[in-house]
Amino acid sequence: MNIKDCMKRDVISISPTMTVRDAAMLVVERHIGLLPVIDDEDKLIGAIGLHDLLTLELPDFVNFIADVDFVHDFGAVETTRPASYLLERPVSSLMQPAISVDEECGLLRSYAIMLQHQLLDLPVVSAEGKLMGLASRVDICAAVLAGWKIEPSGQP
Amino acid sequence: MIGTILSTLLFIAILGLIFSEKINRTIVAFAGAILMVGLGRVLGFYSEAQAIAAIDFKTLGVLLGMMILVALLEPTGVFQYLAVWAGRLSRGKPIRLLILMGTVTTVLSMFLDNVTTVVLIAPVTILISEILGISPLPYLMAEALLSDTGGVATLLGDPPNILIASAAGFSFVDFLTHSLPIVIVAWLVALAIMRYLFRNELAVIPENPAAIFRLDVSEILTDRVTARRVLIVLGVALLVLFFQGLLGISPAFIALCAAAAALVWVRPDPSKILKQVEWSVLVFFSALFVMVGGLEATGALKTLVSILDNFGNVAPVIFGVILIWLVAGISAVVDNVPVTIALIPIIQGLGASGMNTDPLFWALVFGAGFGGNGTIIGSTANIVVANLSERTRTPITSKLWNKRGLPVMLATCLVASVLYVIAFPLFSR
Repeated sequence: MNIKDCMKRDVISISPTMTVRDAAMLVVERHIGLLPVIDDEDKLIGAIGLHDLLTLELPDFVNFIADVDFVHDFGAVETTRPASYLLERPVSSLMQPAISVDEECGLLRSYAIMLQHQLLDLPVVSAEGKLMGLASRVDICAAVLAGWKIEPSGQP
Repeated sequence: MIGTILSTLLFIAILGLIFSEKINRTIVAFAGAILMVGLGRVLGFYSEAQAIAAIDFKTLGVLLGMMILVALLEPTGVFQYLAVWAGRLSRGKPIRLLILMGTVTTVLSMFLDNVTTVVLIAPVTILISEILGISPLPYLMAEALLSDTGGVATLLGDPPNILIASAAGFSFVDFLTHSLPIVIVAWLVALAIMRYLFRNELAVIPENPAAIFRLDVSEILTDRVTARRVLIVLGVALLVLFFQGLLGISPAFIALCAAAAALVWVRPDPSKILKQVEWSVLVFFSALFVMVGGLEATGALKTLVSILDNFGNVAPVIFGVILIWLVAGISAVVDNVPVTIALIPIIQGLGASGMNTDPLFWALVFGAGFGGNGTIIGSTANIVVANLSERTRTPITSKLWNKRGLPVMLATCLVASVLYVIAFPLFSR
């Protein structure tokens, strides 16, 4: 079984010229975690995820503090919204280079790549680099675990 | 003669490479030192024994001792504790926060490395200002500027001070009587200027300051026992430093004693602590000593000294003021450590030809110390703060620094110059 057998083929993607606000609204409406960014020829050129969007609301400074346990109240951080000029910028300004695999990629290799890059969703591309689908960790892991089903003959 | 010319050219080339910051300064200086010794061996002006003798182990000892103490203190959370404590004490009032954060940073950087202080305090500053919903800009810049300024006050505050103290024989108390008073005035002036330059940012009153009272101070201090032990050792060391002149022991010995005592008392994993020591800084200093030693051995510095000696007719006080501004100007754009290491033997050379060197050394202290405030690359603390600020909503740019940091540098140098002139008899001892 390869990644193409468990991925979702109906992928919600976005074009690089749309705004960051559009991307955020798409995430809200469709309740998804990763938006592949594709050009006019459906080629995958990047991805914008929850983390990329959230850095606008929760700046990077949290990473400087080894341990945020002592901060019992984030105060104004909780209510500060990103400046609107940031939200009007194109998706291309915030997107990250996409990490993807091709359709024939094995499940465990796909999973290992996700672990290594701390991804929750993995875009799948064709040999020409066209976006073909998207597999989540659940899609991949469930497909792997399906192999553990006890056969009727009694042999695992 | 050929040795003089070649070693001078080598030294200038290496300084140029260090200041260009294209290649890591430690690598450049290390290679330069090796080339200098090689050149000296081939042309017969500089032996390996001379090169080793040129290294000022008194400076290295102070640096190493203090680095070990800081390495022990860093993971205990005591720095963050002080920063959060200052934040709470300010009750979220911007100007009070500026003064308190500035004071904490200054006091710490008077005894510890400026960069370490800023690296540990600045993130907490960003956190506090984000929680308050105000711009961290004034506080971050104040911390860099005031830690540089405060560092001038003591022997331990700044590497140039350690170098100058070792070369000129200034004691810990000498710094407190000569440098501290000027620094206090300069510090207050710097604060007043920042209060004015950041008046717009400081006028924003946080809507909900209550959140900072929910920062749990007790949770930050992760290792009370170690913190207490290291602070006690540090306190005793400072006390002994007061009587350093009477006891006839060097600051290096005191700093290393303190480091040894703290290591024995805390007994940490030594590999972890020694990894925290900034060996690259120690190698950089040693390499510069070896290079300047080579220059001295060829007599290149003597030539320069004799040229400067022709200015002997200039009143010493004017000479000192010129030195303050010259060194400050250079230190604003380049690393002040090589500048100091190169100038020390020149001043000593002038001393050998009869000039009183004490006022010149004090001028070097003020110029090298306050000069770093001038530009965003003037001191490592500035660079660190600017890098951290890039990850906030309000990055500090070079342009911004020129508008808000440069005036502080000019004012502190002006204060230092005026007080230097007024108190010149004191500086001439």
